[in-house]
Amino acid sequence: MAELLSQPFSWLNLIIMVSAGVVVLGVVLVFVMYAIYFERKVIGWMQLRNGPNRVGPWGLFQTVADVLKLMIKEDIVPAKADRFLFLIAPIIAYTPAFAIIAVIPFSENVFFADVNVGILYYGALSSISITGILLGGWASNNKYAIMGGMRSVAQMVSYEVPLIMSFLGVVLLTGSLNMKDIVAAQQDGMWFIIPQFLGFVIFLIAGNAELNRTPFDLPEAENELVAGYFVEYSGFRFAFFMLSEYVYIFALSSVMTVMFLGGWDAPFGLTFIPGGVWFALKFLLLVFYLFWARATFPRVKTQQLMGFAWKVLIPLALFNVMITALFKTISQAG
Amino acid sequence: MTLTGQYVAFFLFALMAITGGVFMINLNKVIHMVLSIGLSFFGVAGLFVILHAEYLAFVQVLIYAGAITIMMAMGTMMTHHATAEVLPRRKWHTFLAIISAITIGGFFLYGIYKITWPSEMAELNDNNVMAIGEKIFTNYVIPFELASILLLVALVGAIVLAKKEGDE
Repeated sequence: MAELLSQPFSWLNLIIMVSAGVVVLGVVLVFVMYAIYFERKVIGWMQLRNGPNRVGPWGLFQTVADVLKLMIKEDIVPAKADRFLFLIAPIIAYTPAFAIIAVIPFSENVFFADVNVGILYYGALSSISITGILLGGWASNNKYAIMGGMRSVAQMVSYEVPLIMSFLGVVLLTGSLNMKDIVAAQQDGMWFIIPQFLGFVIFLIAGNAELNRTPFDLPEAENELVAGYFVEYSGFRFAFFMLSEYVYIFALSSVMTVMFLGGWDAPFGLTFIPGGVWFALKFLLLVFYLFWARATFPRVKTQQLMGFAWKVLIPLALFNVMITALFKTISQAG
Repeated sequence: MTLTGQYVAFFLFALMAITGGVFMINLNKVIHMVLSIGLSFFGVAGLFVILHAEYLAFVQVLIYAGAITIMMAMGTMMTHHATAEVLPRRKWHTFLAIISAITIGGFFLYGIYKITWPSEMAELNDNNVMAIGEKIFTNYVIPFELASILLLVALVGAIVLAKKEGDE
């Protein structure tokens, strides 16, 4: 894929690039559909229920039916809403989520862009989605929506700081911001989850908060805010907000797999199983963790939320960076 | 001059940067203004990518896109939703603004044409992030530290001001 970008422009190349994008979109959509099904099943089992089991065998077509329902619903724009911003807000929220996938290396040969600032690209784009969320809340002209939007901004801006700082330990150890180099460094040594365990835990917590999911789902707390920033949305635009949340799960789990779990690197020398399969296994483990956390943790309170980010996670992340730098200096000197 | 992809991209991004600025000045609601300045920031980031300065481009997006949301949050807190603040426009202002814009533009153009640019391109290897880091922490470490002290002073100052208002 990568050599396509350096070739001279031709219509054939354009068609290949566009169709590759469409294939990725298809993969992501199927992932989202079955992630939602899986999530409902897992949470159901954890709470001693069956989960969806009516549509199709074992309820496999439940989310397909839900998506169909959302697509044929009327797209309502409230009369007092800011019409243009209301219409583009879901697009602003979704586009960066999908664009992140471009830099993730899924296996040795399956990647789309070999960007030398891959991690920075992830951090930069993930901060844009907040704009879409706040915009959706503001343009709806609804007090619940705006409160959800404001909460979301406060939360995501605060948790972005420890999230990006937790990258730094890995970057220090690798000496590169390129995701492929990070995996290569782990293939030579050990996976970064061992030397960077603190960074991994900070990433898990801050990433969960970035996704606005339980236990950090204050922006969409049903019993306080109805549904938060997308109260007024219906039909396909509502689906877009949901979609961007689940595409973020995809992107965040992939980035975590690459940075801490060795990407496509096979453990115990089991190299006869292809790297893509290992990537998928590690990736699914992290996705399962997110659903598990949702099923078992209660929601945190607002004052606890901000204090936790600024007084616990950020100092810990700074400490992690300092320790890593110290160890690296000592090991290089000795 | 042939029409390459780079050329097209340059025009698109330049157009984004300029239209963002023009909308920023002409729109009346704070949120709309902030969004259009965001468009302008994206245009500039795109221009950096064309110049192979990916690091600069994504830092631009990271810092300024974050600032957009903060500015928007401020805008929502401090303005009314429905009313747009339309300032009365004075007649002479437009005329004076055109004159001064032409003067400054001409001044810049004169300066740009005066400089003799180096004809060969600087050596830009793939890993220019590392080069930037090494330059900052060796040749330019004192300005870097001064900038961080400035930011720290601003941070402490903001906390002190907020604390004072909270006590009253």
